Amino acid sequence: MANIEFQAVTKKFGNTIALNNVNVEIKDGEFFVLFGPAGAGKTTTLKTIAGLEIPDEGIVKFDGKIINTVHPSKRNISMVFENYALYPNLTVFDNIASPLRSPKHKKEEEEIKKEVVRITTMLGIEKFLDRLPSQLSNGQRQRVALGRSLIREKPNAFLLDEPLAHLDAKLRNQMRTELKGIKSEFKSTVVYVTHDFSEALSLGDRVGIINNGKILQIGIPDEIYYMPINIFVAKLIGEPEINIIEAKIRSRRNEYQIFMMNNNYSIEKDEVLEKFLSQEGENSIQVGIRPDDLEITEGNEGSIRGEVIGYEVSGNYSVLTLTIDENIVRVKVPIESKYNLGETVFIKPNIERTLIFDQDGNFLTCLNKEIFAVRER
Amino acid sequence: MTTEKNETKIGKIINPILLTIYSIFALFPLFWMVLLSFKRNDQMFNTTFIFTPTWDNFKSVLSGGTYAKAFLDSLIIGFGSVLIAVVVGVLGAYALARYEFKGKESLAFTILSFKFAPEILVVLPLFMLYQRMGLYDTYIGLIWVYQLIVLPLIIWVLRGYFEDIPVEIEQASQLDGYNWFQIFFKRVMPLAGPGVVASALLGFIFAWNNFTFPLILTGFDISTVTVVSLNYLASDTVQYGQVAAAALISALPAIILTIFIQKHLVRGLSFGAIKQ
Repeated sequence: MANIEFQAVTKKFGNTIALNNVNVEIKDGEFFVLFGPAGAGKTTTLKTIAGLEIPDEGIVKFDGKIINTVHPSKRNISMVFENYALYPNLTVFDNIASPLRSPKHKKEEEEIKKEVVRITTMLGIEKFLDRLPSQLSNGQRQRVALGRSLIREKPNAFLLDEPLAHLDAKLRNQMRTELKGIKSEFKSTVVYVTHDFSEALSLGDRVGIINNGKILQIGIPDEIYYMPINIFVAKLIGEPEINIIEAKIRSRRNEYQIFMMNNNYSIEKDEVLEKFLSQEGENSIQVGIRPDDLEITEGNEGSIRGEVIGYEVSGNYSVLTLTIDENIVRVKVPIESKYNLGETVFIKPNIERTLIFDQDGNFLTCLNKEIFAVRER
Repeated sequence: MTTEKNETKIGKIINPILLTIYSIFALFPLFWMVLLSFKRNDQMFNTTFIFTPTWDNFKSVLSGGTYAKAFLDSLIIGFGSVLIAVVVGVLGAYALARYEFKGKESLAFTILSFKFAPEILVVLPLFMLYQRMGLYDTYIGLIWVYQLIVLPLIIWVLRGYFEDIPVEIEQASQLDGYNWFQIFFKRVMPLAGPGVVASALLGFIFAWNNFTFPLILTGFDISTVTVVSLNYLASDTVQYGQVAAAALISALPAIILTIFIQKHLVRGLSFGAIKQ
């Protein structure tokens, strides 16, 4: 296993900049998730680690050694491609055995057979050893691809490119749990690429957020969820999307007051906010409230009135969309609720769990004090 | 509802009739040629389907040596051109499919354009060139010029094949630890196999049937069946029976090859078109 480092890596394809001055250090043996929307540069990053793409600028290092010009076959990398890249003319057995029959990693046939049987049994595909890839379902193909990757013994790193992307929702959930279970099988550094935030937060030791070829934030899952570096990252994580509401903050003697949606909320004094509130009077801020942190009330004190403009069932909860002044606010409600369009609804935010951003969208602070202990760790 | 039923009913009767008429139209000349090849000269013009068949035409075509030698020459030149074109074309097609370089599309189009040029245009300058270079009336000379016919075909069919093979398969092989030769021959070529077979067969048929090049670029030592068949069209009499027999024999290699490879032929020509 190896420590992987990118220093100022830039990669262009014609006029498109795929990687823009990327700096990241992936620690030896960690399960690192690279998360971002489509076209962010995730696959290019993996291919650059594997040597299938060469950076235009910058340095790639394994364990401190520069490997920019090292051929892919000599980098000792095992990769699962997004489209599986199974060899169509070989059986499942031969596909999985393929790495161990190459000149670089050659093993005895007896040992190969044992390993293939062990891995296919672990992945639940031991009955398909004689089949061709065209005779398998999508989920089975994905497991073959995983098997062909896992059979490599202690490569410098395992690279997984959206392995669950082409599976149906039910299978994806099942495989996510299974992957978590076999994390210990990957006795090496893992770089896992996904555009699904729940995969990112549940699987990663650390998560790197990438967009337009730039790394926005790197941190442990809790950090990404509770302290996103800006509003863009906050919106990427969480389903349904976080609500961002314009607000104003005023400094009072013993506390701060946040004025949003025609209501005042008092919060404790905070070091970060103190530095921010450099001027007298009011400051404009943006408040991030997750749909889980809004409560439906009867209309008592402190409640905000809103009008229903949408209601959607989404799995094991529903999403209620309201307009409040000029804001559109999403609330998570139980699936049994009934709401009509145009109905008046009252909500109350859980102020203790909000995120505060400045006018430009940069993260200032999270009002949930317990979470700050996370950063210390 | 009733109109639909009626149409299908009529369709059921008319379609087979139309198909039969077309089959007769397409196959009759061949059928007639087979008949002719078994007819004696004195029965040539006064019989149609009923006559006394004879092997004489075949006997006279195959004896005497000229035709048999021409047949052999055609085989040598046909297989030779296809062999060279496959070796060169496979590598060229792979380069066009996988690599980027300046002027790539111009090069690809230029290669295709060889097929557009009428042979009669280039054959005269080629004649003079070949005389100077000593390539006139040689196997190498014809095999070389036949590349104009066979090579573009192979390159264009196989380029499509290689482009359809996901590059990730080669990349996965690299990461598995294989070198370029192993990847090309064990992973890529098996997938492109049907394409090679189909385009090679088609190329062989084009090479075999070519008339202009052997007519002008060969003379005494080498001839092909296409040119030699002319001999039977003598100025005073036309030996129709022998012409038919000669033509029939010359069609045999292509027919035999196609029968052996037909399983791969349809797959080979259409596979590239469908996106997986």
